[in-house]
Formats: sequence, structure tokens, C-alpha cells
Amino acid sequence: MPEIILDGLRKSFGGCPAADGLSLKVNDGEYLCILGPTGSGKTTCLRMICGLTKPDSGRVLFDGTDVTDVPVSERKATMLSQAYSLFPPKTVYENVMFSPQIKEWDEETSKQLVKSMIKMVHMENKANSYPRELSGGQQQRTALARALASDSDILLLDEPLRALDARLRLELRQELRSLVKDMGLTAIHVTHDQDEALEMADRIAVIRKGRIVQIGTPMEVFQNPRTPFVANFVGRSNIFIGKISSVCEAFTEVMLGNGSLIRARRTDIPAGTDVAVAIKIGSTRIPIVEKPTEERPEPEQPQGFFRGRVERILYEGATVTIEVDVKDVGLVSSKLPNRRYDDYKAGDEVTVTWIPDKANVFEISPDGIDEELRLD
Amino acid sequence: MSVFKWINKVSNNERSRKAWFSFVCLVFVVLIVVPSIFVILKMLTEWGVVSEVFRDSVMMSTITGALRNSFSIAGIVTVIDVAVGVPMAWMMVRKQFRGKKYLDTLMDMPLAFPTAVLGISVVMFWGAPEGISIPGLGIVVSPYVMLVLLHIIFTYPYMVRSLSAILEQIEPNYETAAMTLSASRFTAVRTITLPLFRAGLVTGTILCFARSLSETGGTFIALQMMGVGSVFFTGPTFIAYMKAEYGVDAAMGSMILISVLMIILALILLVVVKLLIMRFKIPMKRVWPDFGRFVSRGAMPKLKDTVSVIFLAVIVLIPTFYIFTYLTQPMAEIDFGSLLYSTGISFLIAGVAVVFNIVFGIPIALYIARKRHTTSGKILDSLVNVPLIIPTTALGFSLALFWGSIYAGDSIGLLMVILGHIAFTFPLVVRNITGAVEEVDVSYEEVAITLGAKPFQAFSKVLMPIIKSSIIAGAILAFTRSLGETGATVAISDSVKTVPVYIMELIKADNYPEAAFCSIILIAICFMFMFALRMIINRGDRRA
Amino acid sequence: MKIKLENISMKFGDLYAVRNISLSVAKGEYLTVLGPSGCGKTTLIKVISGIWKPTEGRVTVDGEDVTDIPMEDRDTGYVFQNIALFPNMTIRDNVGYSPRVKDMAQDEVDDISKGHLELVKMFDRAGMFPSELSGGEQQKVAIARALASGSKMLMLDEPLSALDARVRVELRYEIRRLVKKLGITVLHVTHDQEEAMSVSDRIILMRAGGIQEVGTPLDMYRSPKSIFAAYFIGETNLMECTVSGKTRTGKITVRLRGGQAVRASKSDLEVGDPAVISVRPENVYAAKDGLKAEIIGVVFMGTYWKIRTLAETTDYIDYNVSSNDEVPKKGDRVYLVFNKKATKVFARPEEGLEEAIKLE
Repeated sequence: MPEIILDGLRKSFGGCPAADGLSLKVNDGEYLCILGPTGSGKTTCLRMICGLTKPDSGRVLFDGTDVTDVPVSERKATMLSQAYSLFPPKTVYENVMFSPQIKEWDEETSKQLVKSMIKMVHMENKANSYPRELSGGQQQRTALARALASDSDILLLDEPLRALDARLRLELRQELRSLVKDMGLTAIHVTHDQDEALEMADRIAVIRKGRIVQIGTPMEVFQNPRTPFVANFVGRSNIFIGKISSVCEAFTEVMLGNGSLIRARRTDIPAGTDVAVAIKIGSTRIPIVEKPTEERPEPEQPQGFFRGRVERILYEGATVTIEVDVKDVGLVSSKLPNRRYDDYKAGDEVTVTWIPDKANVFEISPDGIDEELRLD
Repeated sequence: MSVFKWINKVSNNERSRKAWFSFVCLVFVVLIVVPSIFVILKMLTEWGVVSEVFRDSVMMSTITGALRNSFSIAGIVTVIDVAVGVPMAWMMVRKQFRGKKYLDTLMDMPLAFPTAVLGISVVMFWGAPEGISIPGLGIVVSPYVMLVLLHIIFTYPYMVRSLSAILEQIEPNYETAAMTLSASRFTAVRTITLPLFRAGLVTGTILCFARSLSETGGTFIALQMMGVGSVFFTGPTFIAYMKAEYGVDAAMGSMILISVLMIILALILLVVVKLLIMRFKIPMKRVWPDFGRFVSRGAMPKLKDTVSVIFLAVIVLIPTFYIFTYLTQPMAEIDFGSLLYSTGISFLIAGVAVVFNIVFGIPIALYIARKRHTTSGKILDSLVNVPLIIPTTALGFSLALFWGSIYAGDSIGLLMVILGHIAFTFPLVVRNITGAVEEVDVSYEEVAITLGAKPFQAFSKVLMPIIKSSIIAGAILAFTRSLGETGATVAISDSVKTVPVYIMELIKADNYPEAAFCSIILIAICFMFMFALRMIINRGDRRA
Repeated sequence: MKIKLENISMKFGDLYAVRNISLSVAKGEYLTVLGPSGCGKTTLIKVISGIWKPTEGRVTVDGEDVTDIPMEDRDTGYVFQNIALFPNMTIRDNVGYSPRVKDMAQDEVDDISKGHLELVKMFDRAGMFPSELSGGEQQKVAIARALASGSKMLMLDEPLSALDARVRVELRYEIRRLVKKLGITVLHVTHDQEEAMSVSDRIILMRAGGIQEVGTPLDMYRSPKSIFAAYFIGETNLMECTVSGKTRTGKITVRLRGGQAVRASKSDLEVGDPAVISVRPENVYAAKDGLKAEIIGVVFMGTYWKIRTLAETTDYIDYNVSSNDEVPKKGDRVYLVFNKKATKVFARPEEGLEEAIKLE
């Protein structure tokens, strides 16, 4: 329901900045994922929205009204925490009843509301159980029902799926999103899992060191990352360091340390600059090696890419990951559909190629590329 | 109902929350902290009479002798407690065995006994005092050794409890990890668990040391029964003796001096102990795999456990319960009127003190638990523990001087005793609640607030039900402790006769049978409380 | 190290955590024990490493019965889920702990510690305390510490589950490279099927204290033997159906709930048997003709789009579209066909499909 604006929020804990000029706009009814590694300040951001943490400076606005000094209980922004925090001495029913009770709503209406919420999350059979008797998934659903029954306009989800088994996480992503969408809430979901963010979010805000690095739809963030970090964090990337040797209409040519030239997307960065080239492992191709034939004893090799030896082939289910050892460059990974599994074997000489448009070119930041790519 | 609504509304305002908390802190400082150490200020204003004592060499040697006794006994007792407490705590936390629950309850038993009663019981068991028809072992004739044996009994449970509490928090995986890396159990405990254990060792040491240092009633009775009450002193019994023999005004100088010395020495020593334990490095460079294996396998661990249990039985439990042998004797004539009156006074004091402590202790406990890492949290935490470290007799004396200097009449004896009991039980209540609150994830309250609860509702509807059993446990602990206290009561007022004071007077009059039967009745009452405590804690456990 | 379990059972109170498990692990094999929470997978490796003594059964290592040997004499590296680095020691001392408690000389201890830290590229942090490292770094040190005991077998108890998703992915490849280089036998416990698929030589799928299925990642994914395995490992579309025809070569045809006939791969089932057909999303395609379905969700997954449909059989069917291809819109109607070679047909479980794939 409301639109949320964070305006230049700053907060530091004992000299360590957890929010460093954080600005963000969340649209009315949007499902926004804040994606970032541990310690990037994503939970602090969430806590400042609901008021549990007071920013050192900056403003929080709901629908244009400054709520920075409004008490937490008046903000109508509910938190769904990582450990769910179901009140242990209360049953599922009593937990969901918490908000209606303290707000002293009409008893009959409250009962109806609580019952419908419990039904919505499929917990009718467990209404009289205590939290400790529930499985992780059931606890999560109860916490959600409790949050939905509180008449809040904003739902803040702090890694709501982290405590669950991997398989269950996959199941619950869509379920959680559609429940929130059905209620018409503005939701902000904090996570470190890029697949979760891609699958659930309307828009993703990538956060790092207390700042939003990039915000956009999953597709924008995945395909047009703004920094090498985003390129490697949202889907693994192969990263190559080199110098731009030429820029033309169709593509950029980058000279790597070993002297080979690779092709990447067209860029405005002038020739001669040191750059990092990032290519998603899922955007690479490994064309099947043509057997030399009578007519073509020397099969044509695509130019501007890598040649190397297949080091390892990992069957990962729907996909296979092929690691190719390229001389003087190191391991280059390629993720291909599983039907390609039988096409290669370890030791094969192959070429790794990609559409130049899928390879992003970045100027190297002054901190160096290793610092830029650090995941934790 | 409307009151709660008003509190809810007010609690939503940050400024009014701060105002309320400031008020609580003010009450705490004015009513508890300042009176407790007022005697130090008094020494400066009364320097004349104090300096006279310095010139009295006989008095000085008595005072230094008393202090030496107090501190050396406390030291020996603490060392023994650590030595036997570590294996016991380890056994209680890491092992599962039949009868563990009963052992757990038995261990707390000495806490339910007023120390005055323990004094009688211990002397009856180890010594052979005149005038008692029940035979004792008669092997301990030195009052010094007798006091060590007595003090071990009521400090032992504190030590085992504090050590267990820390041990429970130490990740058992550390030990397992060490063992998968080829360390024997002994080596794993020595190199991994013990170094992580220091915090528990510090609390245990401080609690035991302070408790031993400040004990008055039991010590006084034990010395009296051995017939050395006017020649052998500890710090607290010296104060009590001087007050009874010469009166406050005549003995002012020496009483101030010994109180101040006890307070300052206790504070210094505890800081030193804390630093020593935290600095001390357990030698790690050498390991003895074969020795480690030898003591970790086969009969050795069993032997260690057996010794721990035997120590508990012979040194702690049997002397504690020995007083019940009086039940085989014909019932003594009891002045039920006086006993009932004393019991009433005791309950009134304990009751008021506990209620006060809960009301004012909860806000402070909440603050300490949630802001322990901040400077203000640390200061408050240290301040709360001040009355715990100061010997209660010195505390009582100081308190009496403080209120006496404000209000000259003597009709406020009872009120002053209540204030005294508030002061030394306050840390017990706060520590218990702090511990409980720290166990509860703060996210419960935070979620409640984001669900629209006002801060007071988050406390009363969410946190309170979870920590309720711990609050009650702390209250009962403080209650029994107040019931059993002698030193502070005696030091504050002559006219307020609580049950332990009453028993002490019976002993002074050599009326042993009546004292014993009064003790048994008192114990019965205390047991009912302990039992209630167990029930409540168990119920809490089952729910959580 | 060759590890063999014979009829291992472990009972806590009256409940069996694992029941009657037999298993053998080859030297240098990377074996993953996969299963949902509470399936007994951690209990199993705790029994193998000697932390717990099994109620029944035998554990042998290289033919020698080690069931009664206490854990400190086993020489089994064990890496804990919560990492459990000793907080009172530096990284160097943590890794040097095992040689030290074996009473080796100081130089030797230092050498071993240095060597193993270099192995995981953490030597530059040797003087730090565990709390100064990030989660991923701590876990690498924990692995170095376990290997420094000279152990030739390593138990990994959900080693990655406390870490960020992205770090997990990097670290799992690193661990596999390392142990393969050293030729160590590994048992890796996890609930994450993706993790299991990408690192293991073989997977043991556990459920409710027993082994459900054993196989290579490839076998498990392509030809699972049970509905649970098909569902748990990778994503799949499960549809209730009935066998309606069978060719002489054993290939069958099934009839879906709405009556549509679908050709499937070989199966032992007979005509008329109630069945469940499993088709993975990458084997479902939109075509000119086939099963009618309405698109109810389109989700961008990076390199592909996940399309969720509601078919006329009232089944939800997911399929994937490459991110380079044209993407349908929500509400569009499509016709779906299955790659019949990649379908698997199972007998319909008596307890019902829901119960057969229940995770908790």
C-alpha cells in the first residue's frame, strides 16, 4: 500500500558504518528484494524502515510523510524475522491473535480474521499447537499469518527462508510471494541468496557496504550489472582482467595478460584503459568440436575467444558445469543444459565462446579487483 | 484497566521511558548504593575517633587478626570450592545419569538453611560442644578449621551453580572437535573448555568469596558454641561483638575502621582476582597423551565422580542435616509467642524487600541485559554488584550510619532493617532476571512492537510470560536469603528480632534445645519455599 | 581408507535415528549423504567417526573393526556445521592442535600447521583469531584443522549451511578440488540437493532413518528409482495418471487425469496400474499441439525463464525457456509436449502422492 522512501540514511555501530548514505524508493505494492552478502547492512536497512534502529541521519518516508520519529508500534510495518520469533508460551492461534488482541479490536471480527488467516496459510490442523511442536516450514507460515493479521501495510522479511531445508526453500518461494501479493502489501525482503531474489522480486536492490549498488528488475540486474561485484554476485561470472585494445560499433576488443584478444560488449571506456570483463558462466557456449573431414581438414575456429582443455565436467541436474583450463588465464567455467553432458569428456580441446553483448566491461575500481569481488 | 492503558500510552513515548528509567536509577543509587558505602565518607568526617583506634595497639591487633581470619578463611574456602566444584559442575552439565534431578535438588539444600542453623548443625557434627546431649564426631577443635568447614557448606552451591551456568553455554562441539583431533577427554577439557571457562570462575569466585566474607550469624553461633566467642573473631563477628558489648557510640571508631577496611580490601581483592584469572594462561605447550588417556579412561573418571559425590555428602550434606538428630530428643519447651513474633517480623522484612526489588530490579535488569556491551550498561552492572561484594555487616553498619545521620529518632529501626535487606538482596534478584532476559532473544519483543504492541505491552504480554519463572526463582532466592540473614540485621538495629537473631540469642543464653527446635521449624518453612521454587522452575522448563 | 558399515542402527530413547544401514565407501570416494531435516544423516556420520557408538552393527575401516575404538583414536577428520574453531586459539594453533596433542615436537607442529594453512590459502591469516575471519574463511580453516590430524577420511557435517548462498557455491568447488588432490575419502552431509549433485561421486539419499536410494548424481537425476528421489533431487513435474497401453518392447502409454494420453519410456507397470509420471521442466516444451495449459507465472531465473502453467489436467506444470528465446506472457495459452525418453513412470504410492514426497 504505501510507497517507501529512504533518504540518505546513515548509521554506524562503534565506528563501523552499516548504512552509508542509503537511499531507496520502494513503490506502492511492490515486492522488493534487498540482496547482499553478510555484513552488507541489509538487516540494518530493514530495521531502520520499521524503526527498531534509529538512523544517525537521513529520513524515512511512508507515502510522503516523514516517519523517522514515529514510534515503531505506530508505523504499521511488520517484521518477519529469520527465526520467526513465535511467542513460545502461546499457541498458533494465540500467536496470530496477538495483534488483534493488543489493538483491542472487536472480538467477533478478530476471531473471524484470525481464523481466515490461519486457513490461508494452511495451519487449521495445528491451531492449538505450540511453536516448539511445529516444523520449520509450519513456523514460518504461522509467523506470516501473525504478520498478516496485524493490519500492517508494510511487510519486512528478514531472510525468511534461511532456516529451512534447501528443498523446502524452493517450494516456499512462490507460495510466500503470492500470499504477500494477494494481500496487496508493500514487501521488502532481505536475502543473501541471488536465486531467491531473482525468483521472488519485482525489483532487486543489491546492497554492499551500506550502500545500494544497483536497483532494477531481476533481468536488468542480471544482464546489465553496474559493477563487477554485481556481475559475479547475481549469477557466477568468469572475470578477466585486461586492457581495451579497440572499440568498434559491434564490440570491444580486450587484450588479456597472456596476449589473447577477447570480445565484449561495446563500451564508452577509451582504448588503453585497464578493465575487467565479466561473462556469466551461463552465457558461455562450448561449440561441439567439428571432426576434421576430407573437405575441411582444418575446421574453422571462432576468433576472439578462449581455447583450452576440459578439466572437469560436473553433472548438476538441470545443468552441467564444465571447467576449462585455459593457459595463462586459469579455469573458465561454462554452465550448459544437461543434454550437452555426453558431448564432452575431460581432456578435450575446446573453445569457450559467448555473444560479445553478454560480456560486460568495467573500469577497475581503485581498491583493486580482488577487493571488489570479495563475497564476504 | 485504565491504568494499564495509561502505562501503554506513556510507554510509547521515548522521553517518558527515559524519565521512568532515570527515576529507577535514582532510587537505586540513593536507597542502595550510597548508603552501602556511606561508612567510607563517615570515616573522613569522624577521623578523630578512628585515629584514636590506630593508637590503641591491643585493639589494632584484634582488628588485624579478625581481618586476617576473615580473608584467609574466605580464600581457603574459595580455593576448595573451585577444586571440587569444577568436576561436579562438569558432571551435572555434561553427563546423564539416574538420580541427577535429586542430586541437583540436594545441592541447593544448604541455600534453604539459614546460616545460623548451619552454624549449630556443623558444630554439633564436627565438634563436641558442651551442653548438647547428641554426640558429635569431636574431631575438630580448632575454631579456624571449623569455620572453613562451615563456610564451604553455604558457598559450595553458589560455586557449582555459577560454574554450571557457564559450562552450559560453552559449545559442547568444541570438546568433540578436540577429541576427533586425537585429544583425550582430559586434554580436551584442559586446553579448550577450561580457558573458555574463566568468566564462570570469576563469578563463582566472587560470589563464594563475598559470601564467606560477609557471613555473620553462623560464624557467631559456631564460635559461641565452641566457647571462643570473645577471643576469636572474624570481621563481621567483631562488629557484632563490639556493638553488643560496648554499643555503637563507644565503639564507633573501631567499627568504622574495620568496616571500611573490609569494604576496601574486598573490593581490591576482587579486582585482583578478576585480573589474575583473566590473565592466567593454562599451560598449553606441553601435553602428555598417555597421562591424558590414563585419566580419561577406565576407572579414573568414575573415581573422580565418586570423590565429587562423597565430598558433597560428607562435607556438605551430612553436617547440614545433622541438626535433625534433635528430633530424636524430647521436644524442648518453646516460647511460641516470641518465635511467632520473630517469624512474622522476618516474613514482613523479606516480603517487602522482595517486592521492592522486583519492581525496581526489573527495569535495571532489562537495561543491563540489553545493553551489556555499552559503557553505561557496564557501570550499572558493576554498581548492582557492589552490595553483593560488601560484607553485609559492614553494609548494615554503613546503612545505619547513613539513615541515622538523616533522621535522629530510633523508631525507624524496622524500616532501616528493611532497607538493609533490600540492599543486599537486590543484586540477587537483578542477576537472576538479567540472566533470564539474556536467554530470551530480543527479536520476540521487537516483532511484537512491529506488530503494533506498545513497548510496555511487548514487555508484559511477550517477555514477562517467558521469564516469569526466573523472576519467581530470583524472588524466592532473595526471600530465603533475607530470612537467613543475621549480620546486617544485628548491625542496623538492636530492637528488630528476626528469627536468626532470636536463635542467636537463645544460643548466647546456652539454650541449645530450644534453639535447635526453632531452627527445625524455620527450616521447614524455608523448605516449603524451596519446594515451591522447584515446582515453578520445572513448570517453566516444561513449557519452554 | 575403505569404510564399511554393517547393519548400523542408532537408538535415542525409544526412537531409531538410523535403522539397519549397510554401506561401503571406496577409498578416495566423495560420498554425499543427502536428505531432509531429521532423516538421520548427521547421526550416520557421527557413528562412523566414533562420536556416537551405534546401538547395533559394526563399522570397519580398511577391514579393521573400529566400532569400539573411542573417537580420539580413530583419526577421523570431522568438520562441524557451526564450524567450532577453538575461539581461544589463533588460526595457527587451531590447525596445529592435533599434532600438538599427539606430543609432536614444536617444529613439526609448526610445519604441519603451515603446510595445511597453505593448502587452503589461509596462511596469511595464521596469527588471527577465528572471530576475525568471515564465515567462509573459518570453514576453510576448520577443514585444514581436520586434515592436519593426518586423517585420510573426512566427515563434513553440513559444512556450508551457515554460509551465504554465493559463498557456498564457491567453497563447494574448492573443497572438492582439495580433497580430490589429496585423495581423501569424504562423507559430506547436506540437505541441499544442488550442493550434493555438484560435488559428489555418489549420493546416498536418506529418509526417515533409512537409505532411500544410492547412485551417482547422473543416475539419480536421469533415472531415479523412487518418486521421492525424483522430487527431492532437482525439480520435476509429478502428475497422477493410469497406465493405458504397453508395447511389446515395454514402452508404455499413460492417461493423465483429464484423459490425455502421453507416451512414456519403458516401465514394469502393467496396463490399468495407477501411476505417477515425472517429467523434469527442461524436458517439457511448448509446441503446436499437445496438453492444453494456461500460463500463470513467468519468472526470470538468469539464464532461463521458468514458466509455470496450469494444465487442463489440473496439474501445475513448469517448463523452462532459454533467456535468448521469446518469452510467453502470463495468461497465454500453450500446448505442452514431453520428451518421452526423459519421462519416468512410477507406481502410484498407496499412501498418496502428497505423503510420498512430504519433506517435513
